[in-house]
Amino acid sequence: MPDEEELLEEGVVSPVQPDIQDPLLRKLLKDEPAAADTPQPQPAPLPEPGDEVDCVVIGTGAGGAPLLARLAMAGLKVVALEAGPRHAPRRDFATDEQAQAFLFWNDERLSAGKDPLSFGNNNSGTGVGGSTLHYTAYTPRVQPDDLRLRTEFGVGQDWPLGYDDLAPYYDELEWLLGISGPSPYPWGPARQRGYPLPPLPLNGAAQLMQRACEKLGIRTSPAANAAVSARYYQEGIGWREACTNRGFCQAGCSNGAKASMDVTFIPLAEAHGAEVRADCFVTEIERDAQGRVTGVVYQQHGQTRRQRCRTLFLCAGAVETPRLLLLNKLALSSGHVGRNLMAHPGLQLWGTFDEMVRPYKGIPGGLISEDTHRPRDADFAGGYLLQSIGVMPVTFASQVARGRGLWGAGLREYLQQYNHVAGINILGDCLPHADNYLELSDEKDSRGLPKPRVYFTNQENEQRMNAHAERTMRRIWEAAGARDIWTFPRSAHVIGTCRMGRSGDDAVVDADGRCFDVPNLYICDNSVFPSALSVNPALTIMALSLRTADRFLEQQQRRDS
Amino acid sequence: MKYPPGTVRALLESPHVSEATRAALQERLDAPPYQPQFFDADTYRLLGAVCARLLPQPDRPAGAIDLPAGIDERLHSGKADGWRYDALPPDREAYRLGLGGIQQAAQAQFGREFAALAAAEQDAVLQAVQAGTAPGDLWLKVDAPRFFEELLAEATILYYSHPLAQEEIGYVGMADLPAWTRIGLDTREDREPEEVN
Ligand SMILES: Cc1cc2nc3c(=O)[nH]c(=O)nc-3n(C[C@H](O)[C@H](O)[C@H](O)COP(=O)(O)OP(=O)(O)OC[C@H]3O[C@@H](n4cnc5c(N)ncnc54)[C@H](O)[C@@H]3O)c2cc1C
Ligand code: SF4
Repeated sequence: MPDEEELLEEGVVSPVQPDIQDPLLRKLLKDEPAAADTPQPQPAPLPEPGDEVDCVVIGTGAGGAPLLARLAMAGLKVVALEAGPRHAPRRDFATDEQAQAFLFWNDERLSAGKDPLSFGNNNSGTGVGGSTLHYTAYTPRVQPDDLRLRTEFGVGQDWPLGYDDLAPYYDELEWLLGISGPSPYPWGPARQRGYPLPPLPLNGAAQLMQRACEKLGIRTSPAANAAVSARYYQEGIGWREACTNRGFCQAGCSNGAKASMDVTFIPLAEAHGAEVRADCFVTEIERDAQGRVTGVVYQQHGQTRRQRCRTLFLCAGAVETPRLLLLNKLALSSGHVGRNLMAHPGLQLWGTFDEMVRPYKGIPGGLISEDTHRPRDADFAGGYLLQSIGVMPVTFASQVARGRGLWGAGLREYLQQYNHVAGINILGDCLPHADNYLELSDEKDSRGLPKPRVYFTNQENEQRMNAHAERTMRRIWEAAGARDIWTFPRSAHVIGTCRMGRSGDDAVVDADGRCFDVPNLYICDNSVFPSALSVNPALTIMALSLRTADRFLEQQQRRDS
Repeated sequence: MKYPPGTVRALLESPHVSEATRAALQERLDAPPYQPQFFDADTYRLLGAVCARLLPQPDRPAGAIDLPAGIDERLHSGKADGWRYDALPPDREAYRLGLGGIQQAAQAQFGREFAALAAAEQDAVLQAVQAGTAPGDLWLKVDAPRFFEELLAEATILYYSHPLAQEEIGYVGMADLPAWTRIGLDTREDREPEEVN
């Protein structure tokens, strides 16, 4: 169980007293005592601004942690401020979905549009390690054409950098994180070397997909996973134990097998002198008269504190990063902060099998196919990949309720066959669209800050891709012997809300992650992607993170010499 | 019953379950009777009647898994799960309006309170809410299908988080120590229960 303090923090990030819109109800509720205590920020004097550090990093997820380590290793004085708590996974992480709810970013976000995005356990985490605490740890590389969507299709955006800029970082990451995968990997350009560890074993769903795809002539391969298939050692990090196939990656890995940031880049950063402060929620970014960032103000255990810095790295994720910029009216000249919001089409398809699947065992993302990267019969731009999925029972049950609308005896009967159920899903590209964006709403959260409202509607390209994917997956699951097939429409990951580009006219940061508007502000997280990519994002976010740090360090060196 | 009763309780006593996992599940098994803190007594009874249709438990006449308790407790504490349909008012308001709407619909369709209706009539009311066709002006303030989806999802999550419901579907993922080694199709480890027909 999380300790007392973490539970308290959990309470703090939740909207304790939601604003009531209905006037009658507001009156009714006013007579009631407040439900829980919200710690009030104290007007304590802020520490004197003597303690300036070289860099402050906001957020310790896929975007923040790698660059934190890189900057510390270069000898800079760096402090990371992380809104969530620091966990002790071995002691605290239960193999239980409800008990692990503290891993998610549970502050309420408002989901608007025709296909409202679900957040919380479907989308974002908090704590030292960020969303990598609960990612599934799929770590495919992009293919080169992913970065040139506009050139290839005339829609979407090209990246201001190419595959060759990322490849060395992919290689470095694969070896540092200890990625388990097939060597050679069947898709994409040839590589300098293979994965450091052999693939993880296939579970039931992966075997079903493999069997069916073989019949249909679709190539598959064990996936690349950032979970170590054998004990693994890295300098500065130490030994990590092998994955025990407990299938709980999305609710936190309790044995350190999964390469979340808290067991990789964070210890590496700390070994090199970085300071990581947990439970620090940044609310303000302070500037001088020239508009340069001078420091940040944050809340820790109900106290308001300040940390001054020479350079700020904003890595709070694709919702909180634009939210902080909008709150602080910072870096807004392009008009693109919060816009170009994309979400990966993540359609899932489920079926029931005669065989025993027991979908709670094994790494959830066992098998992959990238044969649909550029389907020959596509009527859409971009492409998608196919993955088998394992699933935890509560997640599955809630999807059955929402997606199939089953209830009563029918719901209980259907879930009786949980052990015979297996699924596959896609992850595909998404195009930016004017209707999909993030804004600050009038509704306040428990900190008194406006809740973000996120608009999302699948446009024609996403609809066509989902339709194509449904046909493909249905064929596969029928060939695998599934009955009672149904689909669960879903979008995954929030992307693109502070995109990078060549010019400050239509982008927020340049190819190095540096803000066009503010020279000492860098952004690195899922918000800087100019296009969504047809692969899971985390490995590419980490690659950009290392690259952002390197470009920053090179620039510092040039300035100093 | 497709899986033998008692599997999960037995596993909780075994070394296959970690301390943190055992603590979480045991707490749910041992939960004392709950007194509502957020809803008034009438609304709480109504919520109970609704949950009994969403996840009927005729097989547990004495000890049904208490779903209204979890909902009341969450609304009381103000905990959120990270998001909300923009089409719905904040959770507390949505629940009061939605439950009020169910009561209105029951009156309009059958001339009686929801709790006094026969099971089939209750189902007819809930079907109308799910389909967005339920009568009543409260539904002008709260989107009926979205409210129903949220209520159903929350009740379902509470139900399947309970060790006995997990036992019912043959889930024993909580017993993951020291490791799962037999993970392929039609393979089973000794501690995993077999289906009984
Ligand atoms: C269930 C699930 C499965 C996933 N599976 C995969 C997968 O298999 N492969 C893959 O590639 N990706 C996966 N992802 C996505 C992946 O986890 C994210 O894309 C990635 O972690 C995003 O990195 P980020 O740096 O943008 O944000 P995050 O990792 O979310 O980090 C942001 C951090 O900033 C902190 N923060 C936010 N605001 C503030 C503030 N104001 N002050 C201080 N700190 C703040 C947050 O607490 C958080 O720790 C998955 C995600 C989910 C939810
Ligand atoms: S499957 Fe492996 S990586 Fe995932 S949570 Fe379990 S031990 Fe960790």
